[in-house]
Amino acid sequence: MHASLVVSGLRKVYEGSGRRVEAVRDLTFTVDAGELVCLVGPSGCGKTTLLKCMGGLLTPTSGEVLVGGRRVSGPPPGMAFVFQEYGRSLFPWMRVGANVELPLKQKDLSKARRRELVADALESVGLADAAGAYPWQLSGGMQQRVAIARALAYEPEVLLMDEPFAAVDAQTRADLEDLVRRLWRQRGITILFVTHDIDEAVYLGERVLILSASPTVVQEQLKVDLPQERDQLRTRVAPRFAELRTHVYEQIQAAKRGEPS
Amino acid sequence: MTDIPPEPTRPSAWGSLPLRVLFVFALPALLIAFWWLTSDGSTNVYWPPLRTILRTFPDVWTRARLRADLVPSLLRLLAGYASAAVVGVALGTVIGSYRKVRAVCEPVLEFLRAVPPPVLVPVIMLFAGIGDTMKIVVIASGCVWPILLNTVEGVRAVDSVMSETARSYGITGPARMRAVVLPSASPQIFAGLRQALSIGIILMVISEMFAASNGLGFTIVQFQRGFAIPDMWTGILVLGLLGFLLSVVFQLVERRVLGWYHGLRDSSRRSS
Repeated sequence: MHASLVVSGLRKVYEGSGRRVEAVRDLTFTVDAGELVCLVGPSGCGKTTLLKCMGGLLTPTSGEVLVGGRRVSGPPPGMAFVFQEYGRSLFPWMRVGANVELPLKQKDLSKARRRELVADALESVGLADAAGAYPWQLSGGMQQRVAIARALAYEPEVLLMDEPFAAVDAQTRADLEDLVRRLWRQRGITILFVTHDIDEAVYLGERVLILSASPTVVQEQLKVDLPQERDQLRTRVAPRFAELRTHVYEQIQAAKRGEPS
Repeated sequence: MTDIPPEPTRPSAWGSLPLRVLFVFALPALLIAFWWLTSDGSTNVYWPPLRTILRTFPDVWTRARLRADLVPSLLRLLAGYASAAVVGVALGTVIGSYRKVRAVCEPVLEFLRAVPPPVLVPVIMLFAGIGDTMKIVVIASGCVWPILLNTVEGVRAVDSVMSETARSYGITGPARMRAVVLPSASPQIFAGLRQALSIGIILMVISEMFAASNGLGFTIVQFQRGFAIPDMWTGILVLGLLGFLLSVVFQLVERRVLGWYHGLRDSSRRSS
């Protein structure tokens, strides 16, 4: 398998008004094509900086990011974002269908093809009949589904999800986690899922990347050897799940204290 | 799971339709009655009874006069207002989009905005003569400020997450303007347009009072100079009605264009 996403020697230093803040020191990791990797770290560990560098929204001080083998210098065409703040990421003046279709208009696609992609994406997140509604008429969980549909319709090589479920209630969150697992298995997309929730990271990921406190390095990479078929009830009470989450938890505590792994 | 709530209807705090009609018309009716009673039997030449004014009205505002005076006024207002809207939104978008341009322009804009537009009439007359061009320029030069400054604010305030979403999906340049920046700024732009409308009506009248051969402002001044006082009062009534009608039309357009915005506000008000 080839690597979909390569981050090598990434460093980001913010300079401003005589203050130098080294947010990210040295990050190197890869995400293989078709892999679902979760990224966790103590709060304020530079996750957002990392994501913005990967998404081409920020220029790293040194190091580089490759998406599908191409170096990122601006927002890469093969990457889609799902943000935490769904309410501010969907455009309230457009109906759901138009929101999903908007990024496709930048691609060279026929109208029929665009329609097909929009319908298919909405269908696969369970919102087939919501195309005519405005985002603000939907619940928070449904709005985040729309954002996911928008990312799916874009047919990205890599899907970046930035704490996408941090702002929805626990039950909706469980549904959305299963949705992400299902879409990942059905469509074989590469997903990098950033979260601060350790359980979520272990439940969702095939691999968990644990980041250190800022200035950030990769504290540890952990393979999640849970079965492919995961289930909110059984997986979460499996002994192996508990071991893994305990391990991740310890690593994050160690990262907070600034100890190496 | 896919139950979509129906299009929200704006909750009415006023109850049934007849009651609402009553509320809308109660105060105007009261004021008219007050005017009627206090002016009735007035012998003051400058303060004719409302009865006389209303009797004069149909004689003065014949179809021919409406065509000769109201239509030119309206066309000037429309031309001035429309050019102010185009210039204001276009310039405002540029100024609002670039921080450096804004830093250079803002003090100048604040100064120009502070100059009361009527004082520009004599100046503009020097350059643009006394024809329709002068009046249109006067109207446009007064209307442009609220539109421009509100557009700048609106464009500047585009949400950072929306902006990043657009960027990450490669929505840039004209597509970004059309699909993201202008819709996002539209509530603020409309606030500017509404202010500009009332300024436009004022300037329409003032510019016609200076040097004109037709128009509402001209006609009202003519009546006043000819001591046709009830006729003058009817002109003022026409102006009032015109302003009212234009604001109703404006509100209808705004409701349509900003439907999403009112819905969004109602829904966040309900949930908070």
